[in-house]
Amino acid sequence: MPPDALTATDIRVLGEGGRAVVDGASLTLTPGEIVGLTGPSGSGKSTLALALLGLARPPMRLAGGRVLLGGRDLLVMDEDEAARVRGREIALIVQNPRAALHPMLPVGRQIGRLWRRHGGSGDADARAVDMLRLVGINDPERRSKAFAHELSGGMAQRALIAAALSTDPAVLVADEPTSGLDVTVQAQFLDMMAQAARGRGLAMLLVTQEPGVLANYCDRVLVMEAGRIAADRPVRDHFAALPRRLSDAAPLVPPRSGAPVVRVEGLSKRFPVRGTDKQVHAVDGVGFELRPGETLGLVGESGSGKTTAGRAILRLIEPGAGRVEISGQDVTVLAPGPLRQLRRRATIVRQDPFDSFDPRWTIGRSLAEPLDIHGIGSKTDRLERVRHLARLAGCDADVLEHRPRDLPAGALQRLAIARALATDPDFVVLDEPTSVLTPSARREVVELLRRLQAELGVAFLFISHDLTTIAAVCHRVAVMYLGQIVEIGTADQVFRDPRHPYTRALISAHLGEDPADRRLDRPRGERLEGEIPSPIDLPPGCYLASRCPHALDRCRVERQPLRTLPDGRQARCWRTEELPLPKEGAA
Amino acid sequence: MTADILSPAATSAGDRAGKGFLFWTGAVIVGLALLMAVLGPWLVPYDPATPADTVSAPPPPLADWPGLLWATLAGGEKAPHWFGTDAAGLDVFSRTIVAARTDLVIALAANILSFGIGVGLGVVAGYFRNWATELLMRASDLLQSFPVFITAMILVALGGRGWGNIVLALTLLYAPIYLRLTRAEVLTLRERGFVEAARASGAGDWSVAIRHVLPNALGPALIQSSVTIGFAILLTAGLSFVGAGVRPPTPEWGLMIANGAGQIVLGDWWPSLFPGLAISLTVFGFAALGHALERRHAA
Repeated sequence: MPPDALTATDIRVLGEGGRAVVDGASLTLTPGEIVGLTGPSGSGKSTLALALLGLARPPMRLAGGRVLLGGRDLLVMDEDEAARVRGREIALIVQNPRAALHPMLPVGRQIGRLWRRHGGSGDADARAVDMLRLVGINDPERRSKAFAHELSGGMAQRALIAAALSTDPAVLVADEPTSGLDVTVQAQFLDMMAQAARGRGLAMLLVTQEPGVLANYCDRVLVMEAGRIAADRPVRDHFAALPRRLSDAAPLVPPRSGAPVVRVEGLSKRFPVRGTDKQVHAVDGVGFELRPGETLGLVGESGSGKTTAGRAILRLIEPGAGRVEISGQDVTVLAPGPLRQLRRRATIVRQDPFDSFDPRWTIGRSLAEPLDIHGIGSKTDRLERVRHLARLAGCDADVLEHRPRDLPAGALQRLAIARALATDPDFVVLDEPTSVLTPSARREVVELLRRLQAELGVAFLFISHDLTTIAAVCHRVAVMYLGQIVEIGTADQVFRDPRHPYTRALISAHLGEDPADRRLDRPRGERLEGEIPSPIDLPPGCYLASRCPHALDRCRVERQPLRTLPDGRQARCWRTEELPLPKEGAA
Repeated sequence: MTADILSPAATSAGDRAGKGFLFWTGAVIVGLALLMAVLGPWLVPYDPATPADTVSAPPPPLADWPGLLWATLAGGEKAPHWFGTDAAGLDVFSRTIVAARTDLVIALAANILSFGIGVGLGVVAGYFRNWATELLMRASDLLQSFPVFITAMILVALGGRGWGNIVLALTLLYAPIYLRLTRAEVLTLRERGFVEAARASGAGDWSVAIRHVLPNALGPALIQSSVTIGFAILLTAGLSFVGAGVRPPTPEWGLMIANGAGQIVLGDWWPSLFPGLAISLTVFGFAALGHALERRHAA
């Protein structure tokens, strides 16, 4: 056993009014080990992570404990000494990388300064470029001269870790380092960070809520509850001890037979770019059908146009071109009156439940709103219906008296789903309904959706970037890239045997929740080079060609149609048959 | 967890006390001003429009005040001219108190009018963005580019002096402010989930604008209004001072200052000082209350 890199004992952090945010937490980190710190929101994870550096965000303050680093207690040092230790022996990576970088200094200069301050001697610029290269930034010479706003979120996060590693610290604390990043960027970043940590014998604490991150990268998992460490166990034991997971759910109820409720053809939406005559191609020729009781997953990274597509289908924004038929009516040509009538049959649930309810209204009034708008039922009928909706959402009738801020996010999101179903619609767009929820609240929402769909036969368009949730609720999956569907097929086809190179990269970047099949331990799957091209200046050929490992010259000049493959799915790549089979399945 | 760290509710005990002090100071001053406006004519010892025998009498020395007060309250003697009398022999004390009604009524009327017009148009301009609302915004720009004194003088030239002119001039001045504040708030509100949820349930645009957008957009305008009332009092006095306001001898602070201003060089400071203090105190009271409410709203 190597000696511990960091030993923290009985850390106490007090918040406003003397409330203990961290209440006597102890932990040890050993060199070369990645330890996950997880727990529900408000359990004190981030506060504990900061406390390991001897810091607290006002009005919170450190009230006790010891943090032993290399035999010395960080918490009893004077401020100058502690500042020297911070950065050199223990480094921190925070959630919002762009805010953590100085906006007025080139990133290379920032890295160089940090390194100098902690005793580095020699060419600081060269050191910065080396560090940027180490964290996998292309063209580090040029990037080191870039300012924070010129970097993408993923690149800014890499620059931060480059800065953190430049001083060769013994301990690295990363507080939800990938929470704002896209799936493929997240995986690349965590791969790089894990490699760097292991290669250098770094002790690392990774604060995260994501089971996928824990399963794939952490050796040991600490669970925090109400300011205390409730469990400390190896990652496999942690997952063995979890009650239920999304992937354990019963098989989906198959869709009902009958005519499609939703038929979308050639849907496009462009936005003009201010000050130029250019346009952003947000949605570009999207088409699909949905049968009653069916869920289609719409997957893609940020900027892929999935949210715009969902809103254009419901005509919450005016579509530019294409046809959308819902319950037999062409939505795109409906007059305002009939369109409002149609909204009984088709509606939407958005990502942030706190945003979806009027803060001044009680939950009951909000749930009754769709009924009021369409004048459905008498007053007593509506009250009865609203009570029923609350029960559907798994809430007591007394939530109806409350305002949104009194409820937890998970319950509120279930109520938002219940409200969407108030008028018995045929079709609901679910726009990232689980993305801001904790894993347990996410599971409850997924279970609710599956139960309601089986009972009511409603069709869902489920928009998400979270493949685990998609796999748990969707019959079919469509993958979007830069406004186009690049592959659409059954969930099994897309997840087990993705054919389009982009789908393959996306699936391979997916962090499954199985600690027995860790990303760290298996060969690299397919990955994409570089960043998503700007949707303003799209390449002339296949949109993926600049990043695709299988691209030929022809791909760069020729657009590709969505072809139907022998197994019934469609993909926008003419090389699907030639490509080697992927080595791994996921989901 | 991050939510409770980053929320601005980082109020220590001292901070809260500070806010309370500001709030209560403002509330007490505003309360007194309103009381004077309502009950003023029944509280004062002299009729504000009837001259006394002594012209330009100075106020009694401060040292005599307790005795005089005792004699008036307990002894039933005729009250002295606490603040002296002006060049026409009018009691400055009575006029200062009665004038609260003139100034507050004008300021409140202008505020209510401009609040209603500004907020209403602001919701419309923010929620329905089209060529007509663009035109509205440009018109409000145009209105804002006129100095309020010029506007008021044009109105006086057209319709003569009177409190209606001041109300109109102030409304034209403040409506664009409320309009902009509300419109900015509405622009963010219209993107909110609950607005879209209502639209996605089939609610019409006007219904969403009135039921969801308007109530949630009132905050900034309400806070602005308590500050604006204070400044409206200041401007009412200012307009009357330059002769673009109410007609003399209406008791009005600005007019009183103007009347007394000629005598200051002769050493008669009292006809102008006391209405001046009344303006300062009232404006400060509204500003303090507004500031306290704003901080409470932000926290």
